[in-house]
Amino acid sequence: MTRNDDIYDVMVIGAGFAGMAAALFASAQGLKVVQTGATGGIDFSTGFIDLMGVHPIAEGKRWQNPWLAIEAVIRDCPKHPYGLLSKDEIFESVDTFTRFLAEQGLEYVGHFARNTCSVTPAGTIKRTYRVPKTAWNGSLALGKKAPTLIVDFHGLKGFSGTQLVETQKHHWPELKTVRIQFPGGHGELYPEHMAWALADPTVQEKMIAAIMPHAVDVEYLGFPAVLGLNDPQKVVDHLAELSGKHVFEIPTMPPSIAGPRLRAVFDRGLPSLGVCTHSQKMVTDVQVLDSGMFEFSVGTGAAKLSVTAKKAILATGRFFGKGLQAERKKLVEPVFDLPVVQPEAREQWHGQEFFAPQGHPVNSAGIEVDERLRPMDASGRPAYDNLYAAGAILAHHDWMRMKCGAGLAIATAYKAVKELMR
Amino acid sequence: MIFFDIGLTLALSICVIGIVYRVARWSGKWTSRTPHLSSGFFLWIVRAVKAVILDVLFLARSGRTSFLRWLAHSLVFFGFMGLLLFHAMDETVTATFFPFYESTLDPWQFLRNLFGAMTLVGLALMVYRRVRSTKLRLLTHFQDWAALLIIGCILLSGFLLEASKIMSPAVFDRMTDEYFVPGEVGDLTALKAYWAHEYGVVFSVEYPRDEETLELGASLDEDSCVDCHASTATAFVSRPLATALGPVAFALNTSRADQVFWYFHVIFCFIALAALPFGKFFHPVSTPINLVARQGRRDDLEEFQPSDVLRGVGMDACTRCGECSLHCSVAPAFTVLGNQNILPSEKLVSLKQFQTGEQMSQASLTAFSEGSRICTECLRCTDLCPSGINLQDLWIASKAQITKRAPSPNDLLRKKTAAQRARVFDDLCKSSSILPAVAGLADDSASYWACVQCTTCTSVCPVVAVCEDPSRDLDLLPQQIMNLLRMGLKEETLGARMVWSCTTCYKCQEHCPQNIRVADVLYELRNTVAARVRDGGASCEGNGESL
Repeated sequence: MTRNDDIYDVMVIGAGFAGMAAALFASAQGLKVVQTGATGGIDFSTGFIDLMGVHPIAEGKRWQNPWLAIEAVIRDCPKHPYGLLSKDEIFESVDTFTRFLAEQGLEYVGHFARNTCSVTPAGTIKRTYRVPKTAWNGSLALGKKAPTLIVDFHGLKGFSGTQLVETQKHHWPELKTVRIQFPGGHGELYPEHMAWALADPTVQEKMIAAIMPHAVDVEYLGFPAVLGLNDPQKVVDHLAELSGKHVFEIPTMPPSIAGPRLRAVFDRGLPSLGVCTHSQKMVTDVQVLDSGMFEFSVGTGAAKLSVTAKKAILATGRFFGKGLQAERKKLVEPVFDLPVVQPEAREQWHGQEFFAPQGHPVNSAGIEVDERLRPMDASGRPAYDNLYAAGAILAHHDWMRMKCGAGLAIATAYKAVKELMR
Repeated sequence: MIFFDIGLTLALSICVIGIVYRVARWSGKWTSRTPHLSSGFFLWIVRAVKAVILDVLFLARSGRTSFLRWLAHSLVFFGFMGLLLFHAMDETVTATFFPFYESTLDPWQFLRNLFGAMTLVGLALMVYRRVRSTKLRLLTHFQDWAALLIIGCILLSGFLLEASKIMSPAVFDRMTDEYFVPGEVGDLTALKAYWAHEYGVVFSVEYPRDEETLELGASLDEDSCVDCHASTATAFVSRPLATALGPVAFALNTSRADQVFWYFHVIFCFIALAALPFGKFFHPVSTPINLVARQGRRDDLEEFQPSDVLRGVGMDACTRCGECSLHCSVAPAFTVLGNQNILPSEKLVSLKQFQTGEQMSQASLTAFSEGSRICTECLRCTDLCPSGINLQDLWIASKAQITKRAPSPNDLLRKKTAAQRARVFDDLCKSSSILPAVAGLADDSASYWACVQCTTCTSVCPVVAVCEDPSRDLDLLPQQIMNLLRMGLKEETLGARMVWSCTTCYKCQEHCPQNIRVADVLYELRNTVAARVRDGGASCEGNGESL
């Protein structure tokens, strides 16, 4: 095992939205930060930054103003993590986050007090707080119901222009679609490979040449999100120049290329801020030293290393992020073995109807924290003075149905860093 | 001398017939004939003379490999050639050039001991070299030890013969009967006393050693013996050997050990003579021819393209020194696979069998073919060969031929569809004597239980990325292989080109959100098939229709 003799101010455990945001905020405060975590949920993100979209979920009520939605959710579910944060904190956190993304070349746009409507690959409308600039024209087109052509490709799974048009045709009559042969490949296509191919201007030109005969009378061109991996805006701009149309992307089914784009920004940006990142490594063990500091074992096998930190932020997510583990009879938190708020018995994890709109009790499982975001032990006191939690691992929310995942992750990470600085 | 004449005639006949037979097979059964042009003959002669001096006489090419080897071989070469020309063929060679030649006179007696000692030291160094290196010991076979043993026996029996003659009173009596006429009574006793003292003869009785007797003996010796006998002190090996044998001298003398050792010495010489055309015993003839003919070039000049006969000479020129195998760049493959045909010195043995049309079992052909395939033609063996054999040309010229007789299972399999391959692999597993050699990740459903079929492995795969049509070009994609495996359909995955095109860059495994060991599994699938194919590769020809 490699021993790292450096003592870090804070260890961020997790590399999803919350982990990345926590590392960003902590390093902005001048702290010496170390981060670990395997490919988290961020790779499976749509690239949209949701703040608050649906409440109450049983009724499926969608909110145009996320701030009012947050007020409502705090009123109805006082234990929701948003209840621990002020509106200013939430706004400031997302703003700082998107500013960093913009600095790194991934620009996000949106309104202040209004959610933006975006088309999903299924043709449904999703309300979200911030969208990547490459998707912005899609929201404008949707708002104006402008003449738009959705382009899809033979062999690309999980994105169907026909389904999209079929779902929207009554609301958006001038929406149409065409399926073309992708100039960079045949057979089964995968978004990442298409994105690589489309970074080549000659492929872009060939693609536009194949599209133009179908795009005579449209103002907008919508594509699945495969328009380049590292610099999508450049590809979008070039396609717009070639076609003379407004061009936008629609995220594909997960894993969409939008997720890896976000992760790439952090993979590039965090080390340059001085964050020591141990990507693709998970914490396997933790010891509390006499000084109260944590000593973590990170990774397995030959690449195993030891990391010492004064404080830690637990941002390991729920099940997909491995922050929670479902054992035969109960849910556990594997790093610190913290108590997990959960239904009493396994049979109560899920309701009878899998697609029930109100979701399932297990979807609100997580760890309990005090008002300073410190995880609590079984007796209701902070388990450690120097451990904070952020993101999806917190209990009392169902981010998937409430559409509050990214915002909740970013805002609680912001709050955790703020509390940790006190 | 009937024994000697018959023996010599027999050994010579075997030798001559053997050489004729061997030389006759030099042309081999090559299929790729290339014209042998002979322009630039003068230049060739100059190079050939240079080769004779540097490479044949001074073993310059051996010197390039290691000093120890050069020293050992030079000692044996010069020692044995000296003995052969001036001792074995003394009547024809030495006596012709030196009319007053007597084998018991100096410098002949001294030189014989010197040459013999040189040869023995050289042989000892050769044995040491083969024993010291584990690699070389593995490559040393019967004929290598036999060659060292026979030459060693000739030398040892020769020294024992000389030593036993030195101490023998019977030999002394035979000489005095013939050449000594005693003047007075006591002369013979004095001569015996002097010879016992000075020449090391061991008589059954003790003769007086007083000064007077020895002085008389010395003068008698001066009169009758010194013309043909130098002091045995110059026989610096045999004389001490005789002294050392002192305690058993009486027994040796009474049993006429000198005659026994003579028979041994002559028989070993006959064996060596008769063995000359066989195996590496032939290299004193073939290697110089090859060195002169090719002059040790790493490749052949345009005007001297290798003719089939020259290839035959080359194959026969191998001294089995093993240097090529010690420096072979694919020797690690031999360590893993255990097929000696991977090593050049051993592959050459198979190639010779193959080219001279000897019967070879299918197993030998398969092993030879594998060795031929694994060779990367890196030229190292050719560059290094102390015998200057154009190994590179031999390997390249034979590759197609052997592939025809024993095709590569990989080539056979490549031509099939993924489904046909899967059936063949399945058959191999059933027909093979062993259980699947590799049972691990791929067979354990726990390896994939966390897989959510998210396609991340496929998305990041650079092999998939370079395919124009991944499902057409690779049969199955990584996430599909994982899916089949977790359903227990391992056999269906084995033939997929994805498995065989994987570069093990580990991107899939690194990116998998569920920590599934995708690349490890793909690698294991390949090892599974490799183990089956090696076990029953010959049956790869069919399409697995037995299913």
